[in-house]
Amino acid sequence: MSQDQLFDPLRGAWTRVSPSLATLRMLTRALPLLVVAVALVVAALLVPGARWWILASAVLVAGGAAWTAGWALRNQRSWGYSETEDELLITSGVMFKRLVAVPYGRMQFVDVQAGPIERSLGIANVTLHTASSETAATIPGVPTDEATRLRNRLTELGEARGAGV
Amino acid sequence: MSEPTPAPDPAGPELVGPDPRVPGTPEEVGRRTHPLSALVQGLLYSAAATIALVGSTLTGGGWGDLHALISFGVAIVAGLVLGMIAGYVSWRFTRYVIDHTEVRVTTGFLSRASRRIPFERIQSVDVAEPLVARVFGLAELRIDSAGGSDSSTSIKYLEKSEVQRLRRVLLARAHGDVLDDDVEQPAEQRSLITRVPPERVVYGTLLSLDFVFAVVAFVALVVMAIWFDQVLVALGGAVSFGSVIVQMIGKRVLQQWNFTLSRGEHGLRIERGLLSRTSQTIPFDRVQGIAIKEPFVWRRLGWQRLEVDVAGYSSRSDDVDEGQVTTLLPITDPALAGAIIEELLPIGGPTVESHHMARGARLFAPIGWRYRSVTASPGVVIATTGWIQRTTSRVPHRKSQSVELRQGPLQRWRGVATVEIHTPPGPVDADGDHLADAEARSLWVAQVERTRTAG
Repeated sequence: MSQDQLFDPLRGAWTRVSPSLATLRMLTRALPLLVVAVALVVAALLVPGARWWILASAVLVAGGAAWTAGWALRNQRSWGYSETEDELLITSGVMFKRLVAVPYGRMQFVDVQAGPIERSLGIANVTLHTASSETAATIPGVPTDEATRLRNRLTELGEARGAGV
Repeated sequence: MSEPTPAPDPAGPELVGPDPRVPGTPEEVGRRTHPLSALVQGLLYSAAATIALVGSTLTGGGWGDLHALISFGVAIVAGLVLGMIAGYVSWRFTRYVIDHTEVRVTTGFLSRASRRIPFERIQSVDVAEPLVARVFGLAELRIDSAGGSDSSTSIKYLEKSEVQRLRRVLLARAHGDVLDDDVEQPAEQRSLITRVPPERVVYGTLLSLDFVFAVVAFVALVVMAIWFDQVLVALGGAVSFGSVIVQMIGKRVLQQWNFTLSRGEHGLRIERGLLSRTSQTIPFDRVQGIAIKEPFVWRRLGWQRLEVDVAGYSSRSDDVDEGQVTTLLPITDPALAGAIIEELLPIGGPTVESHHMARGARLFAPIGWRYRSVTASPGVVIATTGWIQRTTSRVPHRKSQSVELRQGPLQRWRGVATVEIHTPPGPVDADGDHLADAEARSLWVAQVERTRTAG
């Protein structure tokens, strides 16, 4: 069975998350590593002795930064959600793939949360809570307007179909 | 040792604020707990404070220039005083209100905390009698609600009869009924399902898995000690081993003494304990799943243990209950276990063909693959796993929260995937591990369908 078939939505297509999610992760995860790498290179130029191991670690950290940047790009593309008639489907992951179906009636509440950098990029995290902590249904990088719409719609559907725990 | 404050006369109603049955009670006021709570809570705090203080004198051999004995005495007295003050303060600032829609409990002196539990959120209501409270005829009311990491609320302590009355009121309201408080209710009809004799708990513990592991570890230790000619080590091992056994058996026997399971109007009732008594009520429709656990030796004897998932139980964090609260039956035979499970979570029809681990994934579970399977019926999912301790989990479709399909890189290499049925945290876990990917996908799709239609 091909990967696409295995993690297909039940019907329709995935709604992808904003590319700003990749930007966010570049800023918060790859950039700090890059800064450290540059700092190490500068240090290697200033310190006369033992330059090679400082440079080696700079290369290592720079490699880490490059890998993180690549991960941010690929991971952003892997996120998707789909509102079917009866449940919300969420998929994510490149190496560790995941596909979760949450029936609307099982939702306890919906959170929309955005930090300062996320707000400036115009994205937010939408989290669905069920009675199970395993559900872990957080969709990162949803455009702010869409996040509000999603929250309202999910809350509405959850109330209409809620069965209680 | 004198108490910091005299406990008010229990007979004199120290109730401040309006009657809790009157609707629209403001949040700041409400009923106080029983005045003796200050004493009981104080004693509990004192014990903790004293142990901590005495410990600090023992390790340092006294404080500063003080003689060890003097500081030891000071520690005991200070512990008592501090504990009593803490107990009084916690009583003084605790109020509770039960009105027509919810329970509210306000606690805390420095940081006030107020918690509201709407009746429809109540998952279970327990009555606990810790030994100290039991001596004074008091009990604690524990209310579990769904969701969150800290969803268990307790009102401690009230008179036992009052706690039992409140429990009946809350359970009735959780079901949408309103009990008229002023009319004397007839005693609740309850029918006994089973009583577990204490000696059976002892045998069960002796043959349980942790115990068998302890014996194996002990034998290994003795053999090694003799091998290396270290008799003292063997002796030390024997002593610590003995204390482990005594603790393990003692704890279970104390907690599961007279374990009684009965059926009431609104749910199952569990009563247990020798020194500290606990009485749990699990409403029938709040059972999220049941697991049958069969440790290695028990399987030969046909014994089983039943554990239950109830939303809110997992957030319990008190030492008294430690892993006991989810026990539905500590030891039983398969016939009774089957009957209870079928009553609570009816299978509702024939099961589909069961799914097993894919051949290609056997390296992930070289021995256990034989015992892993997952199947479903119109009513429930049934998953089996484990070769040392066999666990059979049953989750009703209408209680499964979400369905997940996942695959890691190693699984992709072997062409397998895992299906997980998400349940509230607890001992029950219904997963289909390492199924061939096409099979996993079709199980996932079918399970999503069953969950949706059962909603």
